[in-house]
Amino acid sequence: MHCKEAIRCMTGLFDKEDTPESGPVREHLAKCPACRIYFEKQQELIERVKQPGRVAASHQFGARTMNAINHAAAQEAASTGTNWRWNGWLRWTVAACATALLILLIPMLTGRFGGNHQAFTALAQSIDAMSAVQSIHMTGRMRTIPGDNFELIGADYDYVPLEMWRQFNPSSKWRVEKPGRIVVMDGSASTLYISTANSYMTASPNAGFVEWLRPLLDPQSILQNELDAARAKQSDATIAKANGTITLTVQSDAKGDFKNSWAKNKSILESDHACIYTFDAATKLLKSLRVSIRAGGQEVTVLELNDIRYDEVLPDSLFALQIPAGATQIVTPAEMSAPATAILDPKDTATYFFNAFAQEDWSALLSVYPASTVPDGLKKYYGHVTVLSIGQPFQSGLYPGYFVPYQIRLADGSVKSHNLAVRNDNPQKRWMVDGGF
Amino acid sequence: MLTTAQPISAWPQTIEEFERLVQATQDDLVNFAFHQLGNQEDAEDAVQDVYVQAYRDRGKRRHITEVRLYLFRMVRNRCIDFHRLRLRRPADAVTDQVASSEDTFSVVAEQEQSKELHRLLEGIPSREAEVIRLRILSEMSFAEVALIVGTSVPTVKSRFRYGLDKLRRVLNVEGETRCTAKKLFVA
Repeated sequence: MHCKEAIRCMTGLFDKEDTPESGPVREHLAKCPACRIYFEKQQELIERVKQPGRVAASHQFGARTMNAINHAAAQEAASTGTNWRWNGWLRWTVAACATALLILLIPMLTGRFGGNHQAFTALAQSIDAMSAVQSIHMTGRMRTIPGDNFELIGADYDYVPLEMWRQFNPSSKWRVEKPGRIVVMDGSASTLYISTANSYMTASPNAGFVEWLRPLLDPQSILQNELDAARAKQSDATIAKANGTITLTVQSDAKGDFKNSWAKNKSILESDHACIYTFDAATKLLKSLRVSIRAGGQEVTVLELNDIRYDEVLPDSLFALQIPAGATQIVTPAEMSAPATAILDPKDTATYFFNAFAQEDWSALLSVYPASTVPDGLKKYYGHVTVLSIGQPFQSGLYPGYFVPYQIRLADGSVKSHNLAVRNDNPQKRWMVDGGF
Repeated sequence: MLTTAQPISAWPQTIEEFERLVQATQDDLVNFAFHQLGNQEDAEDAVQDVYVQAYRDRGKRRHITEVRLYLFRMVRNRCIDFHRLRLRRPADAVTDQVASSEDTFSVVAEQEQSKELHRLLEGIPSREAEVIRLRILSEMSFAEVALIVGTSVPTVKSRFRYGLDKLRRVLNVEGETRCTAKKLFVA
């Protein structure tokens, strides 16, 4: 078999079952490295396309559909117009209502909310109520560092104000803001502006600038999933109703690899945490959210959204971000210049990064630091640094790259020890510095 | 009770049979429609329309033996209609539901990935994207895909291969930005 034929027949290997051509294609792949690489790339892409979870029908879909079918049946019966068929229509209607009611009741009876069916139903109603809102404006605070990424939390950090806006109609737009960092999605692109570094980046609407805060802009989705997980007995959730308020509490364990605990409790997902949602029992709308983590044997609140307003008219100016003149553009790995020497691993990256500062070689620095220019603040702070040690890289939590321990002496004589965050999870496999300095 | 694994060889004729059909096929059809339309609300509307039409046409459809595949074909056609008449909220503004045992933030993050994937597939020719969705996301064989889209198996395979090649090019470009955007500046 020739390469051209092998490439053509290779698709058969991605079918549910082998075809007669599969054997010869596999034999060719065993002998031909070029075709094997192409096959592996196709395989890798298919794995990427596969969803981490399948989309399922919502819990009321079956009942709604049967209602629609029963309605169609009733219309059919009515169109013939005889008395006995009218009686039949009544029977259909009664049967339809009973079926719909049963389908709606079954999940309530098997849910995990301690038999509090009234509260369970109210939660489902709040999801419906949330689906009708036109805009959400949330104000609160979180324990984080101004200017650092939106995912960062710390039990010891001070509270920083946080504000989020989401417009659903007439077009989807949102804005998330804390001191030092703003992200705006204007309907066609999202822009991140880091005022502490006077740098910015524009990317696709779902670029991930706000990370785990993004789901908060879709509270309806969160509630739906809490409800479904509880129904499927997959979550440790409790719900209570008192004094006109419904409170849903969901406990979750930390995610990630913590053989090295550096990243533990640095984000909500990397912490053992509880999310406490409260809803107005009358309007069914979300009133507040509090997230606490368990750190050092204590429960510490790290996020509070206490002021949630619905259907405010949000001005267009809210979703337009003016980038100051002279701001540094954050670039993609493909746009970075090639390093003068090969950078093969995390330790190489850290060494190259600090050596560039030591020699004030800004061109070299931009080979590992994703920016169009080096901000003056960085030049002043790290210029002529002396590297005292670069330690062994390690991984921790959910971070896709590595942390590299370092100790440096700054130009003013002070010594700094920290972990540099480096990564190469980009299509070019280019090593770059992501933080920790 | 029918399960999704069982073939359905006779078009249902009674309300009770339709109820069993809905229970057995709703998740697969909504999953398929979701990947065609990009949001749960439109997907469920499209699938519900198909079930109602399937009921109304039950007399004319008695001869059909591949009921499940025929339903997929009906949903596919309905989704094409939806694309033409789209007037609803943008894709990322609605409730999506992903069957998963992960915690909510992870699940909603997965939904974001679903929406992102939908957006990327929108960037390649629709006939090729459709075949990729059916084979990978709905787990149909190429022969089943061919029946649903009404073409031959070799054509389906070609569309699959060309579609993957184009998708890789799109991902390579988009991947650049996403890798840089996430967790930039880790404390």
